[in-house]
Amino acid sequence: MTGVVGIARTHLVTNLRERVTLFWFLAFPLFLLTILTAIFGSLGTPNPTSLSVSLVNLEPRREGPADFAAVVEEAFAHLGASDTHGRDPLFHLRRPAIGEDPQEFLDRERDAVRIGDRALLIEIPAGFHQRLDAAIAGDGPGAEIRVYTSGGRISSDLARSIVDQVVAAVNGRILSAVGRFDPSRALTVERASIGSSGGDPLYIDFLLPGVVLMAFFTAGLFGVPGTILFGRERRILKRYWVTPLDSRRFLVGFSIGHLALCALQFAALLLLGRFAFGARVGFASPTAVGFLLLAAVVFLAFGFLISSVARTANAGMAIANVLNLPMMFLGGLFFPIGELPAVLRGIMFINPVTYLADGLRASLGVSAATVPFVTTIAVPLIWAGVCIAVASRRLRWDVER
Amino acid sequence: MTAYRALLHAEWRLFLRDKVSLSFTFLFPLLFILIFGSLMGGIGDADARIGIVAPGDDGHRLERIAAETGRIQPYPDRGGLEAALEGRRIDFGAIWDGDRLTFLYDSRRSQENYAFEEVARGIATRFDLDLQGVAPVVRTAVESVGGRGTTKWLNLVVPGILAFSTLSAGLFAVSGHVTGMKQRKLLDRMIVTPMPRVALLAAVITVRLAVVYLSTLITLVTAILVFRLEFDVHWLHYSLFIPAGTLGAMGLGTAIALVVRQPSSAGNIANAVSMIMMFLSGIYFPVEIMPALLRAVSRAMPLTYMADALRYATGVMDMSAARFWMTTGALFGFGVSVLPVLARYVVRADRR
Repeated sequence: MTGVVGIARTHLVTNLRERVTLFWFLAFPLFLLTILTAIFGSLGTPNPTSLSVSLVNLEPRREGPADFAAVVEEAFAHLGASDTHGRDPLFHLRRPAIGEDPQEFLDRERDAVRIGDRALLIEIPAGFHQRLDAAIAGDGPGAEIRVYTSGGRISSDLARSIVDQVVAAVNGRILSAVGRFDPSRALTVERASIGSSGGDPLYIDFLLPGVVLMAFFTAGLFGVPGTILFGRERRILKRYWVTPLDSRRFLVGFSIGHLALCALQFAALLLLGRFAFGARVGFASPTAVGFLLLAAVVFLAFGFLISSVARTANAGMAIANVLNLPMMFLGGLFFPIGELPAVLRGIMFINPVTYLADGLRASLGVSAATVPFVTTIAVPLIWAGVCIAVASRRLRWDVER
Repeated sequence: MTAYRALLHAEWRLFLRDKVSLSFTFLFPLLFILIFGSLMGGIGDADARIGIVAPGDDGHRLERIAAETGRIQPYPDRGGLEAALEGRRIDFGAIWDGDRLTFLYDSRRSQENYAFEEVARGIATRFDLDLQGVAPVVRTAVESVGGRGTTKWLNLVVPGILAFSTLSAGLFAVSGHVTGMKQRKLLDRMIVTPMPRVALLAAVITVRLAVVYLSTLITLVTAILVFRLEFDVHWLHYSLFIPAGTLGAMGLGTAIALVVRQPSSAGNIANAVSMIMMFLSGIYFPVEIMPALLRAVSRAMPLTYMADALRYATGVMDMSAARFWMTTGALFGFGVSVLPVLARYVVRADRR
């Protein structure tokens, strides 16, 4: 028993002492959780980003409230002002300086859009009022606002979608002002969603279980073969066998140490998710704990499988690298998987990560299960069984001569 | 010259034997393109796929308006629409019951729903006007003045992956390969022979430049053939940038090798640095959607500029020619200026 505990402790402490394992098994999952939450957690919230946009109004002023070009200009100018919370404005808006020739400004800013210095340029062209008056009278397709974008730039696409929203609102204001649209009879629009039991989950609640599984997965896939294969190559394992410790007890101790490492990964991620990003998801249910344990065991078994089929540590790392990408990204850890080509769909169906992610998220109530509960347990268990069966037959403890 | 040829031959064989380097250089970018391309190849397509449940004349109006902004798919009832949404055959749904317009989303697609909600808002506004018998009187006319007007998200990702391949190959050539030779005491043995250090460096650089050029080319051609992506590659720009980028990354690798005391740690640090850069340089997530702090960090990452330069060289994105040449020149200049440091302080016998 002392030997088993000693091996477990050694495995855990070695992992914590090694800067490499500390980075990949602990720091990197924390980094990934932070980055993905910082990027995708703020999407759809007010002012997640600030875009550099130029605006030029070439239409001469018209006296009175019917100066609709000024209404359009004002609507965009509103986006260029910081909100009440002092956040950056949605648009960093540039307009011609006093006395500057608008046409020159237009030419210069069009070039700035082309090379990516501006996300977009809005031009209210000359003749805007004339075309608008005709459209209001039912005689014409409407007044155009020209929008210059740069293809291939996401900032341009984002700015364009915002411009579309502003133009939609401006249409309502203008048509209300001329008595053609009654805002009191406006449409009732609602939002609903499928895919989770309790409405829209926070992004962090969806992501956290995925990153926890990724951390377990990396520790199993890289950590286990790393320790066993390098230990074998450097003849470290060989030294164990001259002690009273046998390979069975070594494996038990090693597995306990690995599970302790997974527990540490889980605790660190949970603390960060909860206290830094406000994750509400609770892992306390027996089903969720069961899935976490199953995941840790399955990935540990994968690590043993790689250790048993690789002849060298170098080859083991190469096999882990090749398995890493398809298993991680075709398992729905970071985003749900939809329609895929047949080959990738096949990989997805046999991938234990798919079932573990699905089962864990369903047990946490952050997304509805897409496969039966039994399958989410059976497929990973079958994989664990196969991996352990192969490893028990093929795993060698000493280098071949 | 004989030494150079012999070392070149040895370097090439070493590279082919190193399974990790081989998989990182050739397999990693290919796998990423194939997996990401299949998962997200449709992102950036002009049309969202909209499922509609809307009986009666008003329903036809809604279908007509939605068809102007997306590809519509009518369903007889909400159940059918939900099943399609669940199976990702549609991006979101619109249900009109004669009184209320309800938009239905898949809560698991939180990374994309914000974009679908914007499309939905546009449809709701048009439908609102249409129900009161009026049409919009102000509309937008969009003109693309730079790059390709119909670029998909994957078009942007592919040059990003090429840039990442270039960066990691250059980084690991020094902080991985050279430091590995040092750790295994290979350098000790080589340096006591009449071989000039310059010949060793030249052999390492030649093999890496050839390998990076070949690997990026294979990745690019795979993306074009498998996902039918269109690139307007400016081959002179491309062929000059890849070597310049590799040299620049080797310079960065040298800096890491100098800072890190243990030769074995250099590879690990290079691995960590490249991975952090990958997430912060707009390779997989656009820089524009990042919070202000991360955008500022992104601007300090060389990989951001490398990805932009390769997007320019592949015709995906426009930038000023001066900016492209400045990026290329800076990487080349940095790489070349660091070479003497590499020869003197890194390619030397290990301290005893």
